[in-house]
Amino acid sequence: MSIVIIILCAISAVLAATMLFTKSPITSALCLLGVLIMTAGIYGLIGEHLIATIQLVVYAGAIMVLFVFSIMLLNLNTSDDDLKKKPAIFAIGLTLGLGVFSFLFYAIQEHYSNHQDNKVMGQFTPELIASLGGNSKVLAHALFSQFYVSFEVISLALLVALVAAVVLAKRKVN
Amino acid sequence: MTNEILIQLLAAFLFTMGMLIVLLKRDTIMILMGIELLLNAANLSLVAFSKSANMLEGQIQVFFIITIAAAESAVGLSIMVNLYRNFGSIKTQSATTLKG
Repeated sequence: MSIVIIILCAISAVLAATMLFTKSPITSALCLLGVLIMTAGIYGLIGEHLIATIQLVVYAGAIMVLFVFSIMLLNLNTSDDDLKKKPAIFAIGLTLGLGVFSFLFYAIQEHYSNHQDNKVMGQFTPELIASLGGNSKVLAHALFSQFYVSFEVISLALLVALVAAVVLAKRKVN
Repeated sequence: MTNEILIQLLAAFLFTMGMLIVLLKRDTIMILMGIELLLNAANLSLVAFSKSANMLEGQIQVFFIITIAAAESAVGLSIMVNLYRNFGSIKTQSATTLKG
């Protein structure tokens, strides 16, 4: 395992924890931006170049600009600390989070220790992907041949969401 | 311990943090950010499993999830702008019109 992936994972975990414990929305948004960029780095390091680029452009670019812009538009500054006000709820939440994380940890550990030998492998080995012209080419070919109906439906959904966002933001509700 | 296990553990941790943010925070914008973190954790897990099983379906699915996440955050943020316009605050406890 490479040292760079360990560093990216550690930074990303610290930033996610900061997101939970910070008070101001803008710090939280910048931490989320950091997490998304680190995730894009991890995608790039394991060889998923198209997904890494889309993550950078769409997630870390477009979505985070929307978030930061609406923080500016709504003039949100430091919210009063609702975590400190209700320590019982916070403690229950942390216990629940610990439970969920230990369950996921158990599931991962179970998968990687006991269910490795009966795994169904696909045909796209790294050598085949390299001989077909790289990750982006293979993914794009699958996207525009096998999954083209889904691709068109997704583009329609994006259009509907765009119109819905404009209508919702313009409308005056009494 | 390989890269895959590390990435799956990171995905589990990010999922837990996103869940806690959605559950514990009172700002709607923080809840939306928590949802983005949850989606990101699911994406990370999908890509790592799909990569380790030599498949393409996970990456395609992640492509669609990212698109839907963009649509979802655009609609969510415009709902939030409306919430601020009508109630003067984006706290979850300020929108109490339906409360009996």
